[in-house]
Amino acid sequence: MMKILPLPKKYILIVLLFFCAISGAIAQNITINGTIKDNTGESIPGVNVVVKGTTNGTATDVSGTFTITVPGSDAVLIFSSVGYKSQEVTVGTQKLINVVMGTDVKSLDEVVIVAYGTQSKRNVTGAVQTINSSELKDQPVGQITQKLQGKLAGVQITQNTGIPGQGMSVRVRGSASISAGSDPLYVVDGFPLQGSISNINPDEIETITVLKDASSTALYGSRAANGVVLITTKRAKAGNSRFSFNYFSGLQAIPEKGRPDMMNAREFAQFKKEIAIERGQTVPEQFANPEQYGEGTNWFDAVTRDAIIKNYSLTYSASGEKFSTSVVAGYLKNEGVLLNSSYDRISLRINTDYKLNDNIKFGFNLAPTYSSSKTPQSDGIWYNSPSIVQSAMLTSPLAPYINPDGSIPLSVSGQYGTPDAPNWYNQVKIVKNTSKNIGLLSNGFVEIKPIKDLTFKSMIGIDAGNAVSDYFYPSTAGNIFNPPNENDPSRINASHSNQYAYTWLFENTLTYAKSIGDHNFDILGGYTTQAAHSESGSLSGRGFPDNRVQTLNAATIITGSTDVQDWSLASLVARVNYNYKNKYLFSASIRRDGSSRFGSDNKWGNFPSVSAGWVVTDESFIPENKVLSFLKFRTSFGTTGNNNIGNYLQYANVVPTNNPFNNVLLNGSSIAGLNNTELGWETSDLFDAGADINFFNDRIKFSYGYYKKTTDNLLYSVDIPISSGFFNYTTNIGKIEFWGHEFQVSTLNLTGEFKWSTDFNISFNRNKALQLGTANSAIYGDMTITQVGQPLGQLYGLVWDGIYETQAEFDASPKHQGAEVGSVKYKDINGDGVVTNDTRDQAVLGNTAPKYNFGFTNTISYKNFDLAIVCQGAYGNKIINSADRFTGNLDGTFNVQKDLANRWRSEENPGNGKWGKASGNTGPERDWASSKWMYDGSYLTIKNITLGYSFSSINVAYLKGLRIYASVQQAAVFTKYPGGNPEVSAGAGLFSGVDNTTYPVPRTWTFGLNYNF
Amino acid sequence: MKTKIISAFIAALILSSCSEDFLTKYPETVVSAETFYKTEADFKQAVIGAYVPLRNIYGTGLADYGAWAMGEMRADNTAFIYNAANRGYADREYIDQFIDDANGGGVSNKYQNDYIIIGRANQILKTIDAADFDQVKKDNYKGQALFLRAFAYFDLVQYFGDVPLVLTPPTTYAETNVGQTPKAQVYEQILADAAAAAVLLPNKATQDVGFVANGAAYTLLGNVNIVLERWADAEEALLNVQGYSLLGNYAAIYNPANKNHAESIFEVQYYDLATANSASNFAYNFLPILQNPGVIAGFPDGNSNAYAGWNIPTPDFLAVYEPGDLRKDASVGFYTGEGYTNIPYIKKYVHGAEIAPNTNDDWPVYRYAEVLLFLAEAANEQGKSEALTYLNMVHANPRTGLLPLPAAGQAELRVLIQKERQIELAFENKRWLDLVRTGKAIEVMNAQGNSIRANPQAYYYPAGVTPPGYVVTAKHLLFPIPQREIRINPLLVQNTGY
Repeated sequence: MMKILPLPKKYILIVLLFFCAISGAIAQNITINGTIKDNTGESIPGVNVVVKGTTNGTATDVSGTFTITVPGSDAVLIFSSVGYKSQEVTVGTQKLINVVMGTDVKSLDEVVIVAYGTQSKRNVTGAVQTINSSELKDQPVGQITQKLQGKLAGVQITQNTGIPGQGMSVRVRGSASISAGSDPLYVVDGFPLQGSISNINPDEIETITVLKDASSTALYGSRAANGVVLITTKRAKAGNSRFSFNYFSGLQAIPEKGRPDMMNAREFAQFKKEIAIERGQTVPEQFANPEQYGEGTNWFDAVTRDAIIKNYSLTYSASGEKFSTSVVAGYLKNEGVLLNSSYDRISLRINTDYKLNDNIKFGFNLAPTYSSSKTPQSDGIWYNSPSIVQSAMLTSPLAPYINPDGSIPLSVSGQYGTPDAPNWYNQVKIVKNTSKNIGLLSNGFVEIKPIKDLTFKSMIGIDAGNAVSDYFYPSTAGNIFNPPNENDPSRINASHSNQYAYTWLFENTLTYAKSIGDHNFDILGGYTTQAAHSESGSLSGRGFPDNRVQTLNAATIITGSTDVQDWSLASLVARVNYNYKNKYLFSASIRRDGSSRFGSDNKWGNFPSVSAGWVVTDESFIPENKVLSFLKFRTSFGTTGNNNIGNYLQYANVVPTNNPFNNVLLNGSSIAGLNNTELGWETSDLFDAGADINFFNDRIKFSYGYYKKTTDNLLYSVDIPISSGFFNYTTNIGKIEFWGHEFQVSTLNLTGEFKWSTDFNISFNRNKALQLGTANSAIYGDMTITQVGQPLGQLYGLVWDGIYETQAEFDASPKHQGAEVGSVKYKDINGDGVVTNDTRDQAVLGNTAPKYNFGFTNTISYKNFDLAIVCQGAYGNKIINSADRFTGNLDGTFNVQKDLANRWRSEENPGNGKWGKASGNTGPERDWASSKWMYDGSYLTIKNITLGYSFSSINVAYLKGLRIYASVQQAAVFTKYPGGNPEVSAGAGLFSGVDNTTYPVPRTWTFGLNYNF
Repeated sequence: MKTKIISAFIAALILSSCSEDFLTKYPETVVSAETFYKTEADFKQAVIGAYVPLRNIYGTGLADYGAWAMGEMRADNTAFIYNAANRGYADREYIDQFIDDANGGGVSNKYQNDYIIIGRANQILKTIDAADFDQVKKDNYKGQALFLRAFAYFDLVQYFGDVPLVLTPPTTYAETNVGQTPKAQVYEQILADAAAAAVLLPNKATQDVGFVANGAAYTLLGNVNIVLERWADAEEALLNVQGYSLLGNYAAIYNPANKNHAESIFEVQYYDLATANSASNFAYNFLPILQNPGVIAGFPDGNSNAYAGWNIPTPDFLAVYEPGDLRKDASVGFYTGEGYTNIPYIKKYVHGAEIAPNTNDDWPVYRYAEVLLFLAEAANEQGKSEALTYLNMVHANPRTGLLPLPAAGQAELRVLIQKERQIELAFENKRWLDLVRTGKAIEVMNAQGNSIRANPQAYYYPAGVTPPGYVVTAKHLLFPIPQREIRINPLLVQNTGY
């Protein structure tokens, strides 16, 4: 039937499978093959090949080859690609058409997406970085932000938790607000989103552009202070009609590095036996003979698993004279490595363009998504909720999670040496915590060119969504100190909540682009309004008769509440770009924003910017040379804002505070805060300077940027003395300075048959608080402090000084209350001879922000093989592993780290100096936050290694290209940090740097294929 | 170009003028303060809201810090069962062991909730005069606000000494930073507020049940004067406490079925209806640590009680009861089982629960028996002979099963009155402040500390645990200002020794 070139047998099977899915007649016209190369003999991938006058087209694959079927010998093929001169070739009698395309110097001006439009890359005067979808393929992850790790200079992207579909943190240039949010603004096809982009199928995305400086972000005004991420989704390209199918399937497993190092059954029994002896207590019988035990239960293993991830993506795009469309359908199934956790997503995107005539164009985008997730309470400290990962670690390894007879015990009783607790292996499965989301992001626009050079664009869009979540906690669940009791239905509780929300946008812009001689203008003006509304309700129920009915129908006591939230934003935007001979570049822009979130005295804010650039290599005094191929200097200055503070904070509200009197509940009301009519914009002044330098005909591209950002009027819910009657007050209180350097180098190391290119970026981000409130009093977090003159959110606590190892050392040292020989020792910082657990002896322990972040990508190809390696790292930050408080507990309450075998026992046997004695007052070692729990958080992670093979000469209709690949995500993590995940919260926020134990980040082994029809 | 700028400018004008409505969004789920504090109903609700923090002060939630830790367990009446399995509440132990510091949950619970009451009362007092409604109701609400403010400041000044004196709600951020006022001045304000409240409030018969009446204000006024040793003023105020009588049965005082009874002057109201979210839990805190609290009559089975073992009566306290005192059996229970032999626990508040761990017990703050004992004390200090009469009204009430005390000298009677307070008001958070104001705290507590060190197991420590602390000095007569406040407010000075 069809001619298939010799292929390894297993691939033939896969290929056949896909052919089975396609039925229909196969037209037999003339089939043309060929390879496209550039002047240097390099093959060019992605060249559009179109039969002139038709919509029939294709594109070259990674090795520059194409196959196209033409109706007859008079057909003309058009070859086009950005950066090359287009060519037309008449087919005639040729079956093989090889083309050499000349570079087009003028079109080297790659177009980049900017705020409210596009701009030639060489004319950009701001700090902008674009990533194309081709650079993001292959990584077997569900979220687009995971694919961006390591690729963007000055953008810290970290994975704070491994929960499927969650946990990515994106910080542009170390951005941090005190409380008004630090996430960048995401704009998808011109629509500023209210939340994150985690529900977007990465395969829908064409480009991602990060705007970092004021000149590029100021047009987003009051929401731009943390940077802006512009996302464009795939649209059909002219003359390009194609079907493609992408698939990957992988196995996720938790790597050895990252698993907690807890005692096994024998070690734990030995530990319990020894501490009883050390305290002069009778050794409980079950610990008297530790040798009888083996490994016992590894609770971390018991609640985790190897899990499957699968992704299917089908893309169709077609383009004609009038009408073009692109459709992407995707399905992601991501089981989590924690039992009973998962994230599934079904998505569809249809982008359609319709050209009425040369002057009027319409476009419609429609992107429904459905996602559902199961999220057991995995993260956090055990006592805040039954957070399973940490709770499981602390549970006795003597206790079985499955009985020898195969039955599953409900609880771990105190007889195993740790407190009464549920069987976590059971708990993780029986507590229901699910959520389902439906989202619909859609917009439509019309573009009219009433006169030459003038374009009017009007866009209307809506982002609507509905989310439902359900929770059921059966009587067979519990937490530490509160084990399950199947016969106590009063333990059962359930909740159901839903949220309906929409955001709409209406936007009108006029652009006028004109060149007069060597003067080129581009003027933009417009106004835009956006408003959001959400309604949510939640019901919770108690008084269930038993665990059988898990909906609220069975609850006898149901309480509920509803909430309504609104915000609105009305804005004017204007921008002028001007350049002279594309050599001297100027730009100025302004946005005026009004927001419902601020007090009546401060509703409106202005956000202007100016920038300039100079393309030095276009000057006549730089002679044509082979070394320096491009040099541009650029600088910008401007103001942006941050209004991300929640709604209604300017108002003092009266909230219900009911109280019973004589067994009757009466309605009470109390004022919940102080009014602030002056609540206003958090504004950032940004200065940016940079240079782009290319050498050796652009084989080496170097880019440098310096920035300095001063954020004033910081929005913060500042702690106030309770003598005011209130705990906090939302106000504009402070000033922070951010500055940094970022470097980016791209090199083409080898060309020819063996190709190797490298991208490296490194950024140095710093910050300092300049002013905090009227009194400049420090802001304290949980083990962090922010004070004037110092970096934000430094770790703070007592300074650990080992153990009082000997009586002599004890006598000679300052002591805290209850100190003894063999107990923990802290430094007496204020030198008053006594150690107190408060500001007198607490000190800054370390900085939570890395000294530098870097990313490193190598791309290698040889013949049909391609290999990519992506690395990311950070250096110089500190992390407090708060789990140490419990996994280092000397009371014998919990299972502990193996290292506790090295604790102090006597002056003769002082152990390794890290752990004090198990008898006596263990409170200060257990409860006082100190540098004992602090570690170096530097890391280098090989994020991804992908090896692919492209079948170059598949001479079959309907199979235009096939590439298979194998990939390892999160391949290796190099770090001294002993906790699970060094990326836990490495952002430079105010309260970061404390690891409260999170869902493990798995390593993923995948196999995938890209298949073009 | 020029026309463009002009048209953009015009557009800006149009947009900014038309969109004020578009840009003004008021919350739909709450009332804005600007429209509140106007009507009689508003003030009624505001007054009810001002009572709410009292529930937190006296204890809500198993894991919370009730006033019993600082008021009772600190003193010699009670100790705790050392919980080897759960060390998470060690800072409650530190209060008993006199090694507490400014980080403790107990001090912040008291300090914060007292100031929340004061903040709510200030808001009422600032706005009520301008509101237009019935004067009788206005006086009533104003009186309650003044009482609650005085009560909260009295609690603060006794436990923390000098504290910030805030009488009007701050209107700006800068105004929220206030330094300490000498405690003498705070006392004057408390006296003024309590006296004003006593005049404004109706008597118990006409007041809504459960709300404070003028009897509560006079009792407070008497209590403050007792602490200040202004004996005549105290006596005068206390004699105004009218319309109350002692119940014939001691156990009935605490029974939730009798809430707001004839003897009750001021009690903190709890309610165990599940949807009311205002149940009490302290009875569970006061049980021995039990696998199954259902072994104590009235409590449902299950829900192992790891938050228990607090406020356990000491052997020293049990020895104070005279033989035949019926109050002992009503106050203290003993449990044997689950490894305990005759472990004492507070029984006063044990009335079971419908749904664990929510109980319906109120907390008695002021009751008429205390007024009589205050009167005895005030009379005795003035050398008046009625002292013995007042004392015997409590001591020899039929409900105690005891005989009247014979006449005694002033010094002897002083001791007897304090002993009567220790027994009659046991576990009602009176003992620590009584020890402090009578100057006995250091002596009594060091003596008990010696006993504990000599025999920790008699004070419920397990073998092998050496209790730290129990060294009591003058610094311990006040508690530390919570660390949060010291950090935030540079004007505050920490109490000496902390």
